[in-house]
Amino acid sequence: MIASKFEFRSPKDVEEAVRLYREFEGEAVYLSGGTDLVPRMKLGLEKPKVVIDLKRIASLTTVEDQGDWIRIGALARIFDLKQNDIVRGEFPALEASLEGTSCESLQMRGTIGGNLLQNSRCLFYNQSEFWRRSKGFCLKMGGESCNAVPGAKTCFANYCSDNATALCTLSAEIELSGPDGTRRVNLEGLYSNKAERPFEIQPGEILTAIFLPKMRSVGGYEKLRVRGAIDYPLLGVAFSFVDGTGKLAVGAVGPRPYVVEIKQPFRDTVGEAVETVLKQVKPVGNTVLDPDYRKQMIPVLAGRLVNKVMEGAK
Amino acid sequence: MERFKVNFQVNGEPVELDVRPSETLLETLRDRLELTGAKEGCGLGACGSCTVLLDGLPTRSCIVLTAEVDGSEVTTIEGLAEGEKLDPVQESFMEKGAVQCGFCTPGMILTARSLLDRNPRPTREDIIRSISSNVCRCTGYKKIVEAVEAVSSTETPET
Amino acid sequence: MDREYTIIGTRMTRTDSLAKVTGRASFTADLKLPRMLCAKVLRSPHPHAKILNIDTSKALRLPGVRAVVTAADAHGVKWGVFRYTQDHPMIAVDRVRYVGEDVAGVAAVDEETAMEALDLIQVDYEPLPAVFDPEEAMKEGAPLIHEEYPNNVNIHVHIEVGKVDEAFARAHLVREDTFHAPGEAYSTLEPYAVVASYANGYLDLWVPNAGPHVRAKALSNLLKMPLNKVRVRRINVGGHFGSRSEVSPGDLVTSLLAIKSGCPVKLVLTREENATCTRQVHDIKATIKTGVNKDGTITAKEFRVVYDGGAYSSTGPIATSIPYYVYEEAYRFPNVRYDGYRVITNKGIRGMYGCHGRAFLGGNEMQLDMIARELGMDPMEIRIKNGLKVGEETATKSVIISGGLEEPIRLAAAKANWAERRAGLKEGEGIGMGCVAVMCGFPMGFRSGSACYVKLNDDGQATIVTGICDTGMGNESMAIQIASEVLGIPVEDINLVNADTEATNLDPGAYSQAASFVGGNAVKRACEEAKRQILSFAAAKMNHPVEDLDLKDRTVVSKTDPLKKMPMRWIVREAFFQGKPIAATGAYMPKIDFQREWVKNPYGQMAGTYSFGCSVAQVTVDRETGQIRVPYFVAAHDCGNPINTMAVEGQMEGSVLQAGVAVLAEETRWSQGWLLNPDLLEYKVPLACDMPEIEPVIVRSNDPEGPFGAKEGGLTTRMNAYSAVVCAAHNALGVPLNEFPLTPDRVLKALNAAKSGGES
Repeated sequence: MIASKFEFRSPKDVEEAVRLYREFEGEAVYLSGGTDLVPRMKLGLEKPKVVIDLKRIASLTTVEDQGDWIRIGALARIFDLKQNDIVRGEFPALEASLEGTSCESLQMRGTIGGNLLQNSRCLFYNQSEFWRRSKGFCLKMGGESCNAVPGAKTCFANYCSDNATALCTLSAEIELSGPDGTRRVNLEGLYSNKAERPFEIQPGEILTAIFLPKMRSVGGYEKLRVRGAIDYPLLGVAFSFVDGTGKLAVGAVGPRPYVVEIKQPFRDTVGEAVETVLKQVKPVGNTVLDPDYRKQMIPVLAGRLVNKVMEGAK
Repeated sequence: MERFKVNFQVNGEPVELDVRPSETLLETLRDRLELTGAKEGCGLGACGSCTVLLDGLPTRSCIVLTAEVDGSEVTTIEGLAEGEKLDPVQESFMEKGAVQCGFCTPGMILTARSLLDRNPRPTREDIIRSISSNVCRCTGYKKIVEAVEAVSSTETPET
Repeated sequence: MDREYTIIGTRMTRTDSLAKVTGRASFTADLKLPRMLCAKVLRSPHPHAKILNIDTSKALRLPGVRAVVTAADAHGVKWGVFRYTQDHPMIAVDRVRYVGEDVAGVAAVDEETAMEALDLIQVDYEPLPAVFDPEEAMKEGAPLIHEEYPNNVNIHVHIEVGKVDEAFARAHLVREDTFHAPGEAYSTLEPYAVVASYANGYLDLWVPNAGPHVRAKALSNLLKMPLNKVRVRRINVGGHFGSRSEVSPGDLVTSLLAIKSGCPVKLVLTREENATCTRQVHDIKATIKTGVNKDGTITAKEFRVVYDGGAYSSTGPIATSIPYYVYEEAYRFPNVRYDGYRVITNKGIRGMYGCHGRAFLGGNEMQLDMIARELGMDPMEIRIKNGLKVGEETATKSVIISGGLEEPIRLAAAKANWAERRAGLKEGEGIGMGCVAVMCGFPMGFRSGSACYVKLNDDGQATIVTGICDTGMGNESMAIQIASEVLGIPVEDINLVNADTEATNLDPGAYSQAASFVGGNAVKRACEEAKRQILSFAAAKMNHPVEDLDLKDRTVVSKTDPLKKMPMRWIVREAFFQGKPIAATGAYMPKIDFQREWVKNPYGQMAGTYSFGCSVAQVTVDRETGQIRVPYFVAAHDCGNPINTMAVEGQMEGSVLQAGVAVLAEETRWSQGWLLNPDLLEYKVPLACDMPEIEPVIVRSNDPEGPFGAKEGGLTTRMNAYSAVVCAAHNALGVPLNEFPLTPDRVLKALNAAKSGGES
């Protein structure tokens, strides 16, 4: 049961959606596939006054070749996208991350935009209201300090989008439409680097599209998880090689993907790139495998992935 | 409290309801329409016991709001057989011993049915990928995979 | 082999499966009764606290609330399986001992109102110091959770056979290792639910249970109601694995709400409540010391096993013993000392599990491999050498009447091409073997037996009435199949009335591996008596010697002259005419030593018979990531003789998931008294894509006591599958793996520890 009471609206275009957001004075959530949002509402992590369903906005679901850019509507389903010819042909890192996302049924419901805007996760946070109240609210719930690292004044929740990690290696940009108009930013610019509020998004803004520079890439995505499906990543590593430059991104070990460029020959530079990432990440015991282990796996998965991709490219 | 009016099809029958906007499709099916074949296993979309077909696709009805399905077609396990004539997937699950406690069974069968509708001759790998959306605690999945394989070979003879 | 049967041993479609594939099989949460109310439970937010005051007045004033209950409405009776373990009030009285403990219950017209009412109940707590680690809890000065358990030791089981210290002193080789496995979650897909209805002084209950008779008895005690007024009804059960054996706090709360409100009440637990507030699996740390001769003969065993018991006793003494018993039932231990300590902590309540004891069993088997390697023996050879044979006694004096360990080992090895596969292993691959034997039933006093009633109806069809309970494994179908075989009528001619305390007679339930061996025997005997009656009428009516008559295809037929026959329904009608309708009872009481007691006298015949099993697993290990995969698995299981081959295979295959693959992933994670993964997302039940190719091998030992030679079907695999996997992983890596489950982080840690410690 969802304990909170809200109204439901399904606008036909983005303008109407934004208008509704203002009408409810910001106590609104945008709904796409709901695979992240509805469980959050059930756990009492979201208590909106209105749920604005974006699925009736046709323009949000299409994939278009715009010449220099490929535009992916934010509400394109993960399952459809992984079978899209352009994605398969040009962006293998994205294809692999889509394939690695959750399980087939949830890929059919979940959207790429919803996947990017999923909230960060923690074993001490993604719990019922009873659980969280009895344990004492943590930073991310408005409490005084972290529960995963008792006493800490930083939130360590992990941002677990598989696809964001892959998209970062493809120099993706995103389009946001809100009360103050439409803007386009680098995907990396979406992240606040603060796990308690992971996104730099203005109130009322809707993620409408993802843009990828139309350049054929080679690439891949490696995901550390306990089971072969359903699980969120415990670590995600993506790599794409476009036009002589490689980009490596590491996800699910902090509030955002960590992105580094690597120059050829990769044999010598991957280690250096990984070092840069390792200096930034501080995984803690807030998910199911040991944090040191997850950190230890960054160079292992990165090395393997880059080798595999470059072998395949030969 | 605000109500939300929805019209959709359930097992071929039109349904018109006033629902709480916070009501999930699973609650509507089970509590209002008395279609209890879809089960609540976890309530958070993690197990697949509540799977129904929403416009033909296997969907976890515990994390879908009923308000979202306005205009859609829903098939539940109760709607799969035609009268007394079972769907071949149902028959195969029985014959191959793919049913134990039966709690995951409706969701498993609908997930398999949808796969076969999209891909009449799935490989073993395809079957495993599809049913890996659903948790079964009893069978070890072996007989479920075999049941789906058996349907794929009888429904679409090799040409 | 035994093809003299018509339907026994076939791959029969289970009789319950039609309702299950069409969505028509009702589970408790599916039930809807007129005026039914919705129940919710207020739970303890503290791991350990005094309750100073409970004020329910505001909740009672909320419109739509029909009843609120607290311990004041209960009768002060505490639950425990044994008199000396009755420590659990089921609704907290003046103290809470775990997060999630039931404090009050509300019944209201709908879920929203019930939830709102919970917020209106005011409870004043005084938090107390809590303890979560069993070894900390055993130390002097640790917070005492129950006054009656000094050092928080709830149960101490001590078994001593032979001259253990002398045997160790004389042993050629002695090894001691410690293994640890955290608790697991049963993860039955059906969350716990109760429907209770009270009318006319009778309480009717629908609840996922594994034995209606023991459930009704427990509730009649807790409610201080006569046993005949508490009726537990038959309902489909969505998985069990040990979790549905015992009465649960929800049963009491819902019953009290139904009695108080006068309306039917339904309680459905959330997945989180199911994980934290019904039962969980024990965390176990096992120190195992083994002494052997030069030739690999085990001469001495010594065990110290600490079980994290959670807040209350539950099945305490049984849970503290079973891992040891299923091991001594497989192997010969001339000298053995076992000390099992079940320790109370401020965590949720625990029970038995289908694969209870993986630290103990997996640890023993891995250590046996280490010893075999030091002696230059094949793991298969050392197991056969020490395996019990028919006619031998276990260390605690149970006689083995059928089976023995050698055949399952040989058949598993043959199916897996053990020698060739072992010789052909590549880098990073390993193969391992795990064995146990399992008792079919255990001492439960007069409740150890089962009774069945059968009547023949006027159209020649039969109704069988039995307490046999089906929690998903196919026991209902099994009972019908046995009746069909004996009575010579097809399964569709048989109606089953079962697991309903108003109609059925005592049965030990579906949790001590007794359903086919004990319950099945009772069904068989009842049907044989009915058959005797039919044949005796037929002999007179057909004027033919009774010894030459048999029942087949709804017909009484001569064994020697197939033309001489008569429809069975004629005989049945004749019997009605004569005022002697065909009706019979049959009962079976296994040959158990009832002087045996889990703590005071753990010696004597434990069960009527034992099933044996051997599993073989192959693994691949990625040494860089520590990730293990199980591509191939053989399970050989001596079930005596399979009643339904397909159903037995299903039990074995499910066991490979729940015990074999689970040992790579499944564990409960805690932050003090809070369970971090009370869900099905972060608690990792394996998926189809995680499973190996499985080859089930059914071993037939034709038990002299079992119905058609049958014993239990599947539990040996559930109890040895993890051993096979951990032994295979040890074989692949060559380092001790003392911490289970074998998640990649633990595997890598073990590899690194061996590297720095120099152990190989």
